[in-house]
Amino acid sequence: MTALALSLPDRRRLLGMAVPFIAVLGSMIVGLLLIAASGKDVPDAVEAFMDGAFGSAFAIGASINRAVALSLVGLGFILAFRANLTNVGGEGQIAVGGIAATALGLWPPIANLPLGLAVIVPLLGGTLAGAFWGGIAGVMKVRFGTNEVISTLLLGFVALLAVYWCVQSTALLRQPQTSSATLPESLAIADSVKLPSLTGNSESPLHIGLVICLLLAVATAVVLQRSTFGLRLRAIGLNELAARRAGMPGGILLVVALAIAGAFGGLAGAIMLQGEQYYLKTGFSSGYGFDGLVVGLLSRGSTLGVLAGALFFGFLRSGGISMEIMAGVPAALTLVIQGLIVIAVAGSVILVEKLQGGR
Amino acid sequence: MTPSVEPLLSLKNLGKRFGSLQALEGVGLDVRAGSVQCLLGENGAGKSTLCNLIFGVYEPTAGDMTFDGSAWAPESPAAALERGIAMVHQHFSLVPRMTVVENLMLGQVRGVLKRHEFGARIRDIAESFGFALDPEAVVGELSVGERQRAEIVKCLMRDPKLLVLDEPTAVLPPGEIGALLDICRRVADSGRAVILVTHKLAEIAKVADRVAVLRTGRLVADESMADADMGALVHAMVGRELRPLDVALAETDEAPAEPADAPKGFALVCDGLTVHDRHGAVRLDNFTLEIRPGEIVGLAGVEGNGQSELGMVLAGLLRPTEGHFYIGGTDLTHAGAGAVTAAGGGLVPEDRHAVACVTGMSVAENMFLNKLDRFTRFGLLQRGALNTAAQKQMREFDVRAASPEVAFSGLSGGNQQKAVLARELTLDPLVALVAAQPTRGLDVSAVEAVYRQIRAASRRGVGVLLISSELDELIAVADRITVLYRGRLVGERPAEMSERGAIGALMSGQGA
Repeated sequence: MTALALSLPDRRRLLGMAVPFIAVLGSMIVGLLLIAASGKDVPDAVEAFMDGAFGSAFAIGASINRAVALSLVGLGFILAFRANLTNVGGEGQIAVGGIAATALGLWPPIANLPLGLAVIVPLLGGTLAGAFWGGIAGVMKVRFGTNEVISTLLLGFVALLAVYWCVQSTALLRQPQTSSATLPESLAIADSVKLPSLTGNSESPLHIGLVICLLLAVATAVVLQRSTFGLRLRAIGLNELAARRAGMPGGILLVVALAIAGAFGGLAGAIMLQGEQYYLKTGFSSGYGFDGLVVGLLSRGSTLGVLAGALFFGFLRSGGISMEIMAGVPAALTLVIQGLIVIAVAGSVILVEKLQGGR
Repeated sequence: MTPSVEPLLSLKNLGKRFGSLQALEGVGLDVRAGSVQCLLGENGAGKSTLCNLIFGVYEPTAGDMTFDGSAWAPESPAAALERGIAMVHQHFSLVPRMTVVENLMLGQVRGVLKRHEFGARIRDIAESFGFALDPEAVVGELSVGERQRAEIVKCLMRDPKLLVLDEPTAVLPPGEIGALLDICRRVADSGRAVILVTHKLAEIAKVADRVAVLRTGRLVADESMADADMGALVHAMVGRELRPLDVALAETDEAPAEPADAPKGFALVCDGLTVHDRHGAVRLDNFTLEIRPGEIVGLAGVEGNGQSELGMVLAGLLRPTEGHFYIGGTDLTHAGAGAVTAAGGGLVPEDRHAVACVTGMSVAENMFLNKLDRFTRFGLLQRGALNTAAQKQMREFDVRAASPEVAFSGLSGGNQQKAVLARELTLDPLVALVAAQPTRGLDVSAVEAVYRQIRAASRRGVGVLLISSELDELIAVADRITVLYRGRLVGERPAEMSERGAIGALMSGQGA
């Protein structure tokens, strides 16, 4: 009865929130059924999930740290997407950011810098490396017409292999080989290079990356909604010919947009390295670039949407890892559930639009 | 060439409506076997729609068709092909990486491929219509003309009774047009009917038995080629009903500013501009024109004769193959769109949606698309100031919209055009204005408003190049009229009503 008493816009808003919620709930139930079908104990799995995601200060901090990396990639994605560019190279941009941050952080002159510069310089280095990586795709698009979906994706593979090369070769970043058991990893960065904790409490891994991420989210929102640059990106994205006719430097804008998207990815890589992992190893980026892409896509261009999506995925990932370790649910199954949720959210967005009669 | 008594195809009161757009209305036409029926009309006159109704792509919303002795209401192109109607579209449907024979076998053969047999048939058909086609050639390596001939053979293999060609000459370089027209003639002589759509008049004289003219969806002329008068056809194609345009313009007409207080030299100079398209065909041929400050020069011509290319070059979006252009004495040939704007080159493009505006953005954003820096402080857009300025300009130029913040796509065509004009006319400095088909699709009051503004600009000393196929408007507005035909400037006449016939003849390629 109350639903009927609501005005039409209110009912539409309610619908807009209810449908994705029900969709996520539905896909979670399907996920539980899948866990049951695989012969695992469902209550065990749920408990493990909750434990890993929210169970402790440590779990929550780790989840939020994951969300920070995802948000950064997502923010970069929506910025470039405003110019109708699809950056799918987050994974590689994280990787080059991580390489740059490791290289700078392991270099004693930088690690010994005062005033927090030992933290800031590697962060900036990672950001610039990511910007360079994204910018290459931009230049390829403007000069040779290469579709950025393809170039960013392939550059991603190049970057992942570059990480492999870096940690395999002692001439690069591999730690000195003292025995045959020495792992192909870099040395750990010094404490002076690590991101400061936000809580001052060793219980929680929550670090200052969260603050950086929130500041950048605000900056992104301002750029997209209030700045002339954001409007120019939009004009280029909607009608490149008209934008160029109006005197906008079309090529430069496209390169800059992809470089910014890359910079966000590179920063995410540096933050992951300096915040939590501390040393570089193969598989360092571990899918955050692709999850961040999904976060960006699902947000439909909204900064708040990116933050919300990143939090959701951050907790989901933490819970999934815990489910795998504690309840023996295969990692593949958590990925399946994650995929189901993505489809549910994306599908419900389209459904809501149809129900509301919007086009 | 002995047309039968009964028409092969007969259209009665045919109409087609797309939403609120009446694309065709009350079209009645008879097409006889053994004849070439030409269909003339400007872009958007409804020629393609008519072809698509005959070919079963669309269903008519009114009227009847009869084909080959019985009612004709095709539900699909497949049904049309089955019944003996084939169509060559403007855009070819051939796979570039496959050979001619492979392409033509697609959809026509089942089971075992008899490649050689099929190739021989292709050769035979081509020869019987007086041309050669190598079945083993890769389509992507063929010239446009050869590709088109492959399309025609594809149609002829089905032995159609009626062959429809939608603007086949638009894509061809001049040298290949004659060959195509010969093929059309031979197809008709073999007892089939041919419908040939075009907006180039000179081609009609060579090949047509009958010619019909469409204008804004209505059939405005339908006569035998023997009786047709070229001037009258041009008029039927581009003319409009008489309206108070001249009166309205006369009222606001004052003595033009004397060049004394105008900038020295020419406002706009085109020096030997030549444009070759990707296939090497000449689209603009050694185009030279000088426009003084305060002068309005009309550029008449049937569409597709190089106007679009000229507009793109002068907008800084297309680099000419040869030649230069200068605005206020500055060479801007290779400077790009931003520099053209900065030097005082305003442009009202022919294709408003593609080049002039971003329909997804607001009216205010569109009106200041090229002046956003003025409203930027510390990188942030001052929306308040932008909207206030837009509001002021909307009043000044009579752009009617609920607010400057509504989406540009919500405006009527006339208001969109007035907004674009406002943006270009408020450039500072403004030295030259190029307006291409600025009144297309506008109602009478909007047309008047547009020309009032253009005239006001010229009185302020702006040199105006007015590209239009509306001869009456050009005569009313311009100081002198030049004529573009197949990319070349073929003549110049004073802008007087008595010159109408002479200009029409130049537009159709006569007296050039």
